[in-house]
Amino acid sequence: MKVRITEYLEVDLESQKWCCQRCGHELVDARQNYKKGCLVAEKPLEEVYPPKPEGQAYGFIPDPDFCRLIEFYCPGCGVMIENEYLPPGHPLTHEIELDIDSLIERYGRA
Amino acid sequence: MAYTRDTEVVERLKPEAVTPEEQAAMAGVEDLDFEIFQHKMNMIALEGKETTMKLGASTGMRWGDVAFGIYTALGDLSVVATGIWFHAVLGQIPVKYIVKHYLNDPTVGVEAGDSFFFNDPFYSGVHAADMGLCVPVFAEGELLCFVGANVHTGENGSAEPGGQPIAAKSRYEEGLMVPPIKVGENYTLREDLMTMLGTATRDPRTMVLDIKARLAACRIVERRIQAIVAEKGVAFFRGALRKILATTARAARKKVSKLNDGTWRQPRFLDIVGSEEKLVKIGICLEKKGDKLKLTFDGVSPLLDNHPQNSFFQGIIGLAMVYFCGWFFHDLPANNALLDALDWEFPDKTIVKASGDAPTALAPSVQTCFVHGIFLIGARMIYNLDPKRAVASWFSGFGVPYFGGFNQWEEPVADISPELNATGAGARPDQDGVNGAGAFFATMSDCSDVETTEADRPFLYLFRNYFKNSYGPGKYRGGSGVGFGVAIHHVPWLAMGGLGYGSKYPATLGIFGGYAVPSGFIQTVHGSDIKKHLAESDRDLPVDLDQLYEEGNPEKGNRGLHNITMGITPFVNGDTYYMPAGGGAGYGDVLEREAEAVMADVREGLVSRETAANLYKVAFDPETLLVDQEGTEKLRRDAFQERKARGVPLEQFEEEWAKLSPPRSALTYYGGYPHPKPKRDFGLPF
Repeated sequence: MKVRITEYLEVDLESQKWCCQRCGHELVDARQNYKKGCLVAEKPLEEVYPPKPEGQAYGFIPDPDFCRLIEFYCPGCGVMIENEYLPPGHPLTHEIELDIDSLIERYGRA
Repeated sequence: MAYTRDTEVVERLKPEAVTPEEQAAMAGVEDLDFEIFQHKMNMIALEGKETTMKLGASTGMRWGDVAFGIYTALGDLSVVATGIWFHAVLGQIPVKYIVKHYLNDPTVGVEAGDSFFFNDPFYSGVHAADMGLCVPVFAEGELLCFVGANVHTGENGSAEPGGQPIAAKSRYEEGLMVPPIKVGENYTLREDLMTMLGTATRDPRTMVLDIKARLAACRIVERRIQAIVAEKGVAFFRGALRKILATTARAARKKVSKLNDGTWRQPRFLDIVGSEEKLVKIGICLEKKGDKLKLTFDGVSPLLDNHPQNSFFQGIIGLAMVYFCGWFFHDLPANNALLDALDWEFPDKTIVKASGDAPTALAPSVQTCFVHGIFLIGARMIYNLDPKRAVASWFSGFGVPYFGGFNQWEEPVADISPELNATGAGARPDQDGVNGAGAFFATMSDCSDVETTEADRPFLYLFRNYFKNSYGPGKYRGGSGVGFGVAIHHVPWLAMGGLGYGSKYPATLGIFGGYAVPSGFIQTVHGSDIKKHLAESDRDLPVDLDQLYEEGNPEKGNRGLHNITMGITPFVNGDTYYMPAGGGAGYGDVLEREAEAVMADVREGLVSRETAANLYKVAFDPETLLVDQEGTEKLRRDAFQERKARGVPLEQFEEEWAKLSPPRSALTYYGGYPHPKPKRDFGLPF
């Protein structure tokens, strides 16, 4: 049995793995940060936001001295499972740490 | 009584212990009568809120930054009408202060016909611009309950107009801060105190009108309550009011118990300190176990001694309740009994636990920055239970002009403009966010009609509407934000500034791969020739914020771009000021957005053709804007493959990533990058 956790993540109760909800690819042990099973890349902010006004100190693009955009992809299908906006070099976040024993107890084994 | 702030009473955010009288009274309340009672009380509170809004003068009061509450005799807030959900837990503190300090004090006392005013943010929780008034309600000679209105009046005589001084270096520059004081007796306001409160501010007419509006609403609600008591009796009223709290607490814990156990984390970053572009951090942890949630912190920047981006802890809890009341506990009554399901621990001497004389005027920036993290945690925490409510965030970064001077009627004005109530809502799991929805912290508020604002503010609006790419893209996009421009009109001068954050680091992040909102900033043009162009009906003038930055804008003058937080600056007649009220955050992967939805946004002017092609990867005919389905599928297949080729395993990524850092100049107040620590304790008496 798989339990849906977010738009793109499930936990397989039998294997106790994080899985991609779109393609079923097993990412990593569900007791770990799911990001350890993802492909990770920094995406240039100018690929997301309009470069207006150009050449000025202020604009619609965040300042890369203050902020970078990190994307996490499913290695199976390439869907973007999540992203993070972090100051350069700031450790990536272990944002979801489920109590897997409690989850198994709640839903029962598959 | 010590003549200092009371640090005990502010800890009493959860409901007071039930008294034996309340226990006995609750036992006598039948279920059907209880249902009818709750409905009546909600309608009465709503009448109080609507009356306050209709009678008041300030921008906040007229456009819905209003909460009307009904409190037990012990001070717990049982019923509230508002979209300002933090008042559901913060409005009670001044009432509990009155009960604690004045009920049995022979020099003050609490009698029928009294009224109490307060705006010290230590008790009201947010900032001194929020002001309140409450009155006790008596029946058969006994104190039955309190009723009161909390409203953002704004101007409080601080060092800058509008009640939120950016440059404040201590609380003594933040204007009038009144702990609860009695301002009226025998159903009459004291003129000496009204004169004192009025003359302490730049805009006495608004100050006193707002106080009278609150009081008028309180008196109407007092009469409605006495009518219920006349019909059902004192014991029933007392028991039923308390029973609302008891049932709310049980329901809150039951709902929490349905969530999965676990811990959720979200670091938050604020990109402004005073008016300096600096980073500070709030690391948030929320643990759920059984039927309880626990809020803790994992790295928070130290208290800012000389800048006003600090919050009292109670304000942080208050803002947390914006998420919990409005989103997670949306189906439960909003009152402080919801806190029965939440515990917390705050790190001392940090920007989330202000103390001493540290300024707090911009606490709303810290609080909204924090609660945006709770929205992100909340979406991830509740998706499994209630996926339709796992939404992206509404815009959270403010973006508010503040101003002071004289209006066209030669009356003093000092206030903020209402466009902060026109931000975009977050995208949802099955549809886009609502355009220009409101303010996430004030969901029943409104941004006024332009003509109404122009009637007593010295502005001529140049445009106010949605603009391209103003939101976070995603599978579902955030609701569009609103861009607006004004020229100073009718008056020789006006002082203006700007409040908010998100010019360097995005104010509002997306969820589940959805993107954050773009950065915001202000444009000013001093010595503008805008009025000449208007007189000539120049059709080349920009009509929205996106066009403003395109080639060919004919407006000439001394143009400047500024951080969204801009210190107070003199403007003269004809000078112009442009600002965005941001859009909502995105939900999900952009490559899953329906191509037709992208092109609908292109046709409506909500997304640029470049973004449609390059970010959403939609192939389309540039003449007809019709989607090329096959071309789009190929573009997206290629994009998925390109991600897989570009991405690397986490450990490999972190090897290079960990070598980076923001420039030292951005970390002045951070407190040790990347994991800030509280200030060292030098044994100072605060």
